[in-house]
This record gives sequence, structure tokens and C-alpha cells, in this order.
Amino acid sequence: MKPLAIAVPLIFALSALAAGGAVPSAAAADEKPIIVGVGAAPQSMDPQSADVDSNLSAMANMFEGLVQRDTAGTLKPALATSWERVDELTWRFHLRQGVKFHNGNDFTWQDVKFSFDRIKNPQVSPFSNIGALIASVAPVNGDPWVIDVKTTQPVPFFVQMLHQIFIMDQKSTEQRSPGEVGQTPIGTGPYKFVEWVKGSYLKMTANEHYWDKAPPVKNAEFRPIAEASTRLAAIASGEIDILQDVPVSLAKAIERNPQIEMISRPARRSIFLGLGNKPGTPTADLRVRKAMAMAIDEPEIIQKVMFGHASLCAQIPDPPTIGYSADIKRLPYDPAEAKKLLTEAGYGNGFDITLSGPNDRYVQDAQIEATVAAQLSRIGIRVKVDSKPKAVFFPEINQHKDNFYLIGWFDGSYDYGRTFRQLLHTVDEKAGFGATNGSGYSNPELDKMFAETEKIIDPEKRAAALAKLNEAAMAQLAVIPLHYQQDDYAVRKDHGIVFTPRSDTWIVFKDISRKSS
Amino acid sequence: MIAFVGRRALQSIVVLAIVSFISFLIFQYIGDPVLTMAGQFATQAEQAQIREALGLDRPFYVQYAEFVGNALRGNLGVSYVARVPALGLILERLPASIELAVAAELLAVGLGVSLGSLAAAYPRSAFSKATLTGSLLGVSVPTFIVGIALILVFAVGLGWLPPFGRGEVVPVFGSWRTGFVTASGLQHLILPALTLGMFQLALLFRLTRGGVIEALQTDYVRTARAKGLGPVRVIVKHALRNVLIPVVTMIGLQFGQLIGFSLVTETIFQWPGAGNLLLQSIFESDFPVVASYIIIVALLVVGLNLLVDIAYAFLDPRIRYG
Repeated sequence: MKPLAIAVPLIFALSALAAGGAVPSAAAADEKPIIVGVGAAPQSMDPQSADVDSNLSAMANMFEGLVQRDTAGTLKPALATSWERVDELTWRFHLRQGVKFHNGNDFTWQDVKFSFDRIKNPQVSPFSNIGALIASVAPVNGDPWVIDVKTTQPVPFFVQMLHQIFIMDQKSTEQRSPGEVGQTPIGTGPYKFVEWVKGSYLKMTANEHYWDKAPPVKNAEFRPIAEASTRLAAIASGEIDILQDVPVSLAKAIERNPQIEMISRPARRSIFLGLGNKPGTPTADLRVRKAMAMAIDEPEIIQKVMFGHASLCAQIPDPPTIGYSADIKRLPYDPAEAKKLLTEAGYGNGFDITLSGPNDRYVQDAQIEATVAAQLSRIGIRVKVDSKPKAVFFPEINQHKDNFYLIGWFDGSYDYGRTFRQLLHTVDEKAGFGATNGSGYSNPELDKMFAETEKIIDPEKRAAALAKLNEAAMAQLAVIPLHYQQDDYAVRKDHGIVFTPRSDTWIVFKDISRKSS
Repeated sequence: MIAFVGRRALQSIVVLAIVSFISFLIFQYIGDPVLTMAGQFATQAEQAQIREALGLDRPFYVQYAEFVGNALRGNLGVSYVARVPALGLILERLPASIELAVAAELLAVGLGVSLGSLAAAYPRSAFSKATLTGSLLGVSVPTFIVGIALILVFAVGLGWLPPFGRGEVVPVFGSWRTGFVTASGLQHLILPALTLGMFQLALLFRLTRGGVIEALQTDYVRTARAKGLGPVRVIVKHALRNVLIPVVTMIGLQFGQLIGFSLVTETIFQWPGAGNLLLQSIFESDFPVVASYIIIVALLVVGLNLLVDIAYAFLDPRIRYG
């Protein structure tokens, strides 16, 4: 960290000196690729092989699901033109006709079936948990452009997950070896694959036959740059056009650079503290939970630890998520009141507790953990901080071993129902509930409300019921909310690029254009 | 001779066995590949199913025995992340690492030996003193600072050289692509090669300088001078020749290290080599890739050491194959 702190201001001081050397060549503007520097590289060109955003982001340019999301996160048609939930177990999709894969093969319902079957194999795809939910895919009344997808159990948010399940060409995928499939992608998306040199770049070119319309940016390129200071050097020297993942500790330096514009949006991911409620433990008492929430000075964390690159949150989901409730308010920061609540609960002398959390997963995670511990100590709660690598931390969470822990969440399905099922539902291994409930938090009342929401088929009524569930969970302080992270991008001003960051942090080049000059 | 090589080879196998065991052991305690494979929303039951499918539910010694058995047959497992054989992933990245190491070595030897000789020829000159101080920095400043400083000055400040990447590469054969023959490839090579070779450059400089200064005071050099030979000839033909024996040894020993420890340099410059892949794989608990990397680099280092031992015995008749 320290050398960076010295190097970065220097990088920008020097690049400011070198300014004026860059002469944009307007004539060749269409030929030059738009290059995006990203922190993590895709590991495979198999669109179903990874569920991490760094892979999905690249794949979303070359592949499509039945549905897609726009920059704001709203569900839109893609390979399906429309869909409806017929009954608890059945989803009906009307498929888009006349779409071709990049190799010229026609898109058919068999490709959908093939792709959905393919993710069932855990050796092939981490989406096997979604695959396991799919019972059958079949045309309705012999019409190959209308299909029914049946699930093995009611999954109210099924369609909400399908923007990340990319449809592959059955013929060419079956003909080729897995290694070849992982090297040369063939999709239906707005960009065609050109070349991938691992660790160096991924080059793509516009699919002029794209069913929507050919994307305005003709040549697109991803370049992975793992080291933060090198990423800054890359944008400062103009080698790349857009930089994803600007580290918060270096954002100030970017803001000072006249050639670079910072584009930010609140991230989908919220950061919060999980807190167990096993009977007999101090944290089973709602007064203690409230005291802890009120003793944490989140504005100070945002200002001093996050350098302003975060915003207050009062609940787990973000606004585009189904089940988000604008009525939920944060408890105020009030250490005096917190101390009072603690005394009322019989813990006037505080208690000992261990705060676990990752130190390599979220923005400034270990620093947040240390700050929370220091703030809680002011009301007498003695916190031992146990920050560790994510590779050690997350297995503990899956075994429900940690009583008090820092974790972040954004739901790829944009659905609070799934969030609740994963994070807050009483652990039930058989039913698959509470897999990420790190403390084994359990509240039968909430579980009952959740079960009710699962039965509702009408999307609007279900959304309202989920919002109620969310409100009830936060009234019980099922978790202590901290903040939403912020997604920061740096864009070269002199390269004439129009860029709107997406809620899912994917870089989808068809959303990007050049200023007409 | 055969007994010597045989014993050395046997020692190397023991080293490899220990290295593989330690790397295997570490990954028993750090990271769970099942979480990567199963996806973030998997239930315990799904995770257990994958654990079983991968054979990760078996006792440690069974897994290790299987790992060694497979490794002996050239099968180092399938990457948990890329889902293709791990060995292939390493091998396709290795050319970039080797090219970088070769370039670093060439820079280090070329500059180290020539500057060292020059500094020895004029030991009291300002040049000699400045380079001596500089070499101290080269030995002691950590690689990542050297790298960032070079990017800062030559890429961002002066704009002479690109800050990262490998530039244009052309295929040679198979998956080997070289950056040695394109202008852009060479430009991209300079900064990372200098960063990676800096330590060795400084070390070779000091070794050469010290050795040559010492040699210049010996009788045979005085004799050569007395014969009326010029200073260049005296240094290159007479003094330097004797100094080169330890230098050659060190080049051999350090070359393996340049490949093995290029991790930091490759990360700073986003050089698409095996070290870069290693770091990513460690973060992702991709054990087969990490294990393959460790074993391949161990093989390289052990192999090079063996060659150096043999070569050394040839070069220096005082050494016996005892």
C-alpha cells in the first residue's frame, strides 16, 4: 500500500506534464478498438464455466440468455421475446425467431434445452444449482418457438436468474472438445470473438447481423491488469480508454487528473454484519443488537475508511431488487442510547465477541472490521477481530460457524426472496435454506412470512410481500447494515466515449458509443 | 561421472517429492475449491456432491498418493476454474515467462559484466563510485518498487515505453508466440526485463568489479601488462576470463530463479506469463494449477542446478566427481 501512496500522485503529476502529446485521429476513430482495463481476467471462454462477474461480463458481449438486463438492471427480452409464469412450476417462453449463432447455425429450442441440461453437471458449471432446479424443457403443442420450462420445485425468481445462463449452440458445442469450447466461444451476442491471449487481451468485433441492431462500437477489447498502480498508469498514459475497478484509495488521484473523468454509481453490493441469535447469547436480545447498530458510526466509516466511496444502507437489497423497501430507515448513530440499551439488557459491563471477516474480498474489508471493533469498544463491547483470507472465511460461513461476521451481498437474481432464502432463513440443508447464513441465525416468524411469499404467483403481490418480509427482518435487526459500495470507473475524456456503468458491473460494449463529432 | 550424475538426479527427485508434498499439504488448509466449482448459491448437499465427485472427501494420504501417481504419468489434474488440464495452462504461459527471463538474463549479464569491468578498470573514477552505489540500490530495492518507478518514469512521464503487457507477438510453433521479433514486442520487453534482471544485474556488476580489481593485482596480469598489452586486452583477455567462472555459475543458478520468481514483475507489468497465472490461481484456490506450477518450476531449477554442477566440474578441473 505504502509505495502506491507515493507512486500514484507522481504518476499523475508526470502524466499531466506529458499532456498535449495525445492527438486524437478522428478519421480512424471507427477502426480503433475501445479498450477496457479490468482487474480480473476471464479464465475460460466457456460461458457456463464460471459464475463470477469478471467472466460473465466478457461473455455477455458474445452470448445471450433468454433474457437480459439493461444498464439499470431491468429485465428485458433477449433470446426470448416474452415470458410468463403459467403455474407454480411452469415458465413459458416465446423464443425469438431468425437468430443465428456466429457460426451460421440457427438458434432453436433444442439449443435452450441443451444449454439448460449442460449446467446441471457440476464438473462443467457452477450454475449446477440452477440446473438442478430445471425438470424439463419442451415445446408447447408442437410449436418449436414456444417452450415450457418446468422446475422441480416452485422457484418464483426463476426467470430473474436467466440473464446469466447463456445459450450455447448445441451442434458446435457437442462436436468440439471441452478445451476447444473453452477457447473459442460461439454465441448469438452483439460481438463476435476474434482472439483471446490469456492474461493479455480478449478481442471482439461487432456482429453486423445482430438481431437487435449492429452495435455502434465496431472493435472492442478487454485487457486484464491485476496490479492497481499499473491500471492507473494504463489509463494515465492513454493505453486504455475505460478503467474498471478504480481502487478507492487511489480515486483522489484520478479525480485530480484533467484528462480523466471519474464515473461512479452506487454498487449493488451492500456490506453488513451478520449476527447470530442463539438463545442465551447476548446477541439474542434485540436491545443488544440495537445497541450494537447504534454504536457503529457508519458515516465516519464511509468518510475515513471508504474515502467517501460508499453510501449508507438500511437493508440488504439495493433499489432495483424486488423486495427493496424505501420505508426502512437506519437506526441513528447514538452511543449514549446504545450504552443505555446495553445496560437495560443486563450487559452494562459489556461482553466479549469475535468479529470475523475476509481481508481480501470487499473494498477495505479488514479496515472496516477494525473500525467497527474500535467503535463497539466505546460502549464496552470487547471485540476480537479475526480477519482472514476469503478462501478461509467463506467455508466457515457455509458451515455456520461464525457468530458475528462482516459480509457483502448483491443478488444476481435481483430478488430478495432468494437473498432471504440464502442469508437469513433458518439453516435447513435438505431444503437448501440458509446456505450462506454464517451464524445460523433463526427467526421462525420470518421463515413463515417467507414461506407465504413463495406461494404467490402474481409478481406484484409477491414483490409487496417480499418488501414486508424485508421490513420485518430489519425491524428485528437480522443483520446490521453498513453501506453500499460504489462502483468507480475512470474514462479518458479525450477519447470521446459515452459510457454508462451498469448495475451488474458488466462491461457490455453494445451499451457504449462514441460521441459524434 | 555417471555415479555423480546419478546421485545428483536422485537428490533432485527427493527435492521434488518434498516440494510436491509441501504444496499439497498447504492446500489442505487453505481454500476450498468446492466453493468455486459449486457456485456461490450451492447448498451443503450440492457441495458435498461435488466434493465426492472430485474425490476431495477422501483422507489426505489417499489424495496425495493419487496425486503423485497421476503426476508420474504426466497428469497434474484439471483446473478447478478454467476446467481444462492444469499442465496445459502452465505450458502455454511458460514461453512468455521464459522470454522475459532470457531478456532479463541478457540485460543482466551484458550490462553487469561490461559495467563491472569498466568500473574495475577505473576504480577511483566518479563512474565507478556512482555505479557501485547504484548497484547497492539494485540489490536492496524490492522488485515492485523498481517496477513501479520504471513505469512512472518511462511510460507515464516520458511516454517512451509502454507501461504494461507484452505487445505484438507472432506464433513460432504450437502455442509458442514470441515477442522477440516485433518492434512492439521488444518495446514491451524492456521495462519488465530490466525490473526482473535488476537484482542480478547489480549482483553481477559487484561480482565482476570485485573480481577484476583483484585479478588486476595478480602477477599474471602484471606480466601481461609488462608485455606491453593494452588495457582493454588485459582486462578482457586475461583478468575477465578468470573472473567469469563464478559468474557463469551464478548465471545458471539464477536463471531458474528468474523464471520461478518472476511473479511480482509479471504482476506489475501484466506480463502474460506463468507467474501471473500463479498469483491468480492462488487467489482462486485453484490447486491443480498451483501444484503444476510449483512442480514445473522445481523441475526447471533442479535441472538447471544439475547442469551447472556438471558444467562446473568440466570448467574447473580442481572439482572432482567425488
